[in-house]
Amino acid sequence: MDLLLEMFSPEFLLRHALYASLVIGLVCPLVGVYLVLRRLVFLGVALPQISAAGIAFAFFLHTLGFHLYPHQEEEQLMALTGSVLFAVAALVALVTLERRGRGVVEGRVGVTYAAAAAAGILFVAANPYGESTLLSLLRGEVLGLSLSQFWATIGVYGGIAVCMLLLQKEFTFVSFDRDTAITLGKNVVAWDLCLYLIIGLAIAFGVMTVGPLLIFGFLVVPPLAARKITRGMWPFSIVASLIGGVTALIGFYLSLRWDLPLGPTDVAVACVVLALIVAGQTALGWIRRA
Amino acid sequence: MTPPTLIRLIGASIGHNGTPILEGADLQIARGSFVGLLGPNGCGKSTLLKTIVGILPILKGRMEFPEDGRPRFGYVPQRDTLDAVYPLTAFEVALMGTYGNLGLLSVVRGVMRERTMQALTDVRAEGLARRLFAELSGGERQRVLIARALAADPECLVLDEPVAGIDQATTEVIMDLAMALHKSRGITILMVNHHILSLRGRADEIVWIAARGLVSGSADVMLSKEKVEEMLMMGGG
Repeated sequence: MDLLLEMFSPEFLLRHALYASLVIGLVCPLVGVYLVLRRLVFLGVALPQISAAGIAFAFFLHTLGFHLYPHQEEEQLMALTGSVLFAVAALVALVTLERRGRGVVEGRVGVTYAAAAAAGILFVAANPYGESTLLSLLRGEVLGLSLSQFWATIGVYGGIAVCMLLLQKEFTFVSFDRDTAITLGKNVVAWDLCLYLIIGLAIAFGVMTVGPLLIFGFLVVPPLAARKITRGMWPFSIVASLIGGVTALIGFYLSLRWDLPLGPTDVAVACVVLALIVAGQTALGWIRRA
Repeated sequence: MTPPTLIRLIGASIGHNGTPILEGADLQIARGSFVGLLGPNGCGKSTLLKTIVGILPILKGRMEFPEDGRPRFGYVPQRDTLDAVYPLTAFEVALMGTYGNLGLLSVVRGVMRERTMQALTDVRAEGLARRLFAELSGGERQRVLIARALAADPECLVLDEPVAGIDQATTEVIMDLAMALHKSRGITILMVNHHILSLRGRADEIVWIAARGLVSGSADVMLSKEKVEEMLMMGGG
């Protein structure tokens, strides 16, 4: 209990990491509900990896002498640009191919995942400078978050949360029934691109802050858990977000309490929450039938 | 007096991804008519509907709306195309019919909720409003989808196989509902339907997609035993 109180004291050394984890935990599930509903969960595995490859590629270009933002403190910005571009381009390409019904979806996503993982490692290997900085970005070191990174995280994820809540009805409509949305004058391509851009941004920024594993966990596990206990889009989104937030808080506490790595701890907590909900539902089913 | 033409296709080629399924089609839909669309699987019935409502582009030829431009369509898709993974209530699904009037960043207003509830009441589905859409029976889901189309305040209701996979009693309920909306509101109805018998006494006109193109005529003639046999022999069903 003392540790929990200490975590929320203004003097807590890792407060920025805690608040950033909480915000990411609250916001990622708002985006992740569409990965679950559009049956793009596999993409949720591949995209953070692609995003990480984008970071490595941006640094690789830097090594070759290309500067995306000359004369600026560019490491973070460059990494973010590579990360967002790779994630959004891959998402648009994969979803377009899926809509055209070409090839096997799982095969495509699997190959993309393998290719992105390999490319990320090769780009790092080809980069003789700044390898430690790069590896730190690819792992996502939330505990080492600087003040500027912290405020950038709050700004980006705050903006994403506002967009997801304000545009929820449009995103839900074009995801659920694209054809009817067209007949009612909705520009479904524009709405899809807008959603993919938000998903790409959430993943790209999150990969740099907390790493690919935790981003995948926050995107997918809380919505899967919330799907089992809610009816209606608003309850679904809000409960998924709350599960993500609570998971982030408990994960942070456990990580601090027993000196565990934060990312895997958060994902493990999220999976335990999902397992408890499934077990509770099964037990309720048995009781009702008895 | 002949009713005005609402939709006119002239030498139209329709299909998916640039590949035509039906070519050189001529068709006129009169305002206030009830048109049944028949034909074998894969002949292009649903593709024709999707082209008319603007989901698919016309590949060749022309589509005209001679009156006041494109009419307001109320589209009822095949219900199996809607994924059951969405935790949407029946009310949320029906409410989507009002989104056509919604501007960017607009919120759902009370009047939109009232119109949605009225549409659900019109199809006798008000009791389903709070239930999950995915948990409804086929007939119940169909009523909710018709309510959604009505919430769009349509001039033309376009239904894609609304009674496919539904038992006979529910088929009659759905068809009577479509007929009642047609009669009471004067809505033009365009319906793809494999149940020839369910169109008898309800549709004014039948369009049959046969091997050599569209064959249309009054329902009395097109649904006569002789004509049905003739169309089936021609590969029209």
